Amino acid sequence: MRYSETLVDHFLNPRNAGLMREPDAVGEGEYAGCGDLARVFLRVRDGRVAEARFQAYGCGPTIAAASAGSELIALRPVEDLAHLKPEEVERALDGLPEDRKHAAEVVADAVRAAAGQWLSQRS
Amino acid sequence: MTRRVYLDHNASTPVHPEVVTEMTPYFADVYGNPSSVHGFGRDAREGVDVARERIATFLRVPPDQIVFTSGGTESDNFGVKGLALARGRGHVITSRIEHHAVLRTVQALEAQGFTATYLPVDAYGAVDPDDVRKAIRPDTVAISVMHANSEVGTLQPITEIGRIAREHGVPVHVDAVQTFGKVPIDVDAMGIDLLSFSAHKIYGPKGVAGLYIRKGTKMVAIQHGGEHERRRRAGTENVPGIVGFGKAVEVRGREMHDEARRVSALRDRLWEGIAARVPDVRLNGHPTNRLPGTASLCYRHVESESIVLGLDLKGIAVSAGSACTSGNVEPSYVLVAMGLPLDWAMGAVRSSLGRSTTAEDVDYVVDSVAPLVQKLRQALPVGAA
Repeated sequence: MRYSETLVDHFLNPRNAGLMREPDAVGEGEYAGCGDLARVFLRVRDGRVAEARFQAYGCGPTIAAASAGSELIALRPVEDLAHLKPEEVERALDGLPEDRKHAAEVVADAVRAAAGQWLSQRS
Repeated sequence: MTRRVYLDHNASTPVHPEVVTEMTPYFADVYGNPSSVHGFGRDAREGVDVARERIATFLRVPPDQIVFTSGGTESDNFGVKGLALARGRGHVITSRIEHHAVLRTVQALEAQGFTATYLPVDAYGAVDPDDVRKAIRPDTVAISVMHANSEVGTLQPITEIGRIAREHGVPVHVDAVQTFGKVPIDVDAMGIDLLSFSAHKIYGPKGVAGLYIRKGTKMVAIQHGGEHERRRRAGTENVPGIVGFGKAVEVRGREMHDEARRVSALRDRLWEGIAARVPDVRLNGHPTNRLPGTASLCYRHVESESIVLGLDLKGIAVSAGSACTSGNVEPSYVLVAMGLPLDWAMGAVRSSLGRSTTAEDVDYVVDSVAPLVQKLRQALPVGAA
């Protein structure tokens, strides 16, 4: 299997999948190369992520990355997430094959966009 | 242990046990070069001759009109280039849904100064013979249209195309790699001058295929060297492979018709089972005029690779209609040529059934697909759903 057990587990049992009603912030990441899309919803309390949900369209790794990303950002300060790097999402999946690195990028883009939206609304 | 179900017979097939038995002596016992004049060589030659006879009998053509090659790709290259280069320059007609072995060969000929017409297909993936008629020019040197596309399985109107080609004196090459040994082929009635066919799609070994060349067809060799295959294809014959190919074809002669009926019913069971449980799914290709075991389905708004991965984790082998390479997803050019919208074409998954497929296998696949697609759709972005 070219994917890690962690990735497979997130793909088969995605955490926090689906729409969030009235979120405090929403962000999207899209990879033009293949049309993969991730959307991240945040509920924020005291500057931290109280709840995160995602929606994703794409290959298995993208769905897994969105799931892992939603766990990764739980309870973290939103200010930190404005700088979330794809490598951190990839680490949460125990690695990605070279030709699937975009999965982590799409999700990191979505998280940064959501964090950016919340921070701009606050200021 | 996870159940394993192989539904990728259009990609390759397991070698039939009778074929393995037939091939086995030709590795270590009968190892002579069939071109050698001594007894060792003559023994190997006999194996090749028997195989050629078997295939010729199956196709109802003289044995000397069969040339062995290294695979379907070589047969297609040989067929198309052999016709075109024998005429030096001119115009080639093919379809937009050919295998890359034909498409890229025609493109290579264009780079050498030939011109080409790539015929469109209808919503079922079929070429309109009238389009062939309209495309023929005084300088047309070859027509190459496949018998059935590996992805959607729609059978092409080869007989009509052959008749039109005959009227205009243009030779016809047919890539029958997916149909040979699965559906009847009559090269005379269908007006076929060259026919590519392969062993490993019909329970024979990989690395061996054939090209039927009608007597009198003006051709040039594209592989040069020794005087093998009546100077048409240089290179020592793949004796164990050819022997296996001959046996595989003989077995197809016995099994093809019954298996086509059985596999066709299983294909219908798969489609009906999935259609009953999964919304927004469609069957691509012609509903009846098609390869018996091929089911190309599109799941709207779901990415095909995620379905292939999900099924692989269940021990099920199917193939994705769209391929993601280095982060670029290309929807199948075949489905695009058939006019499928992108939101459908991106979710194409092909199942191809074969002689070992059972009703239990099919039911297991249906039971696995339905919750998988439902789960993938639950995570879909609203904008895409």
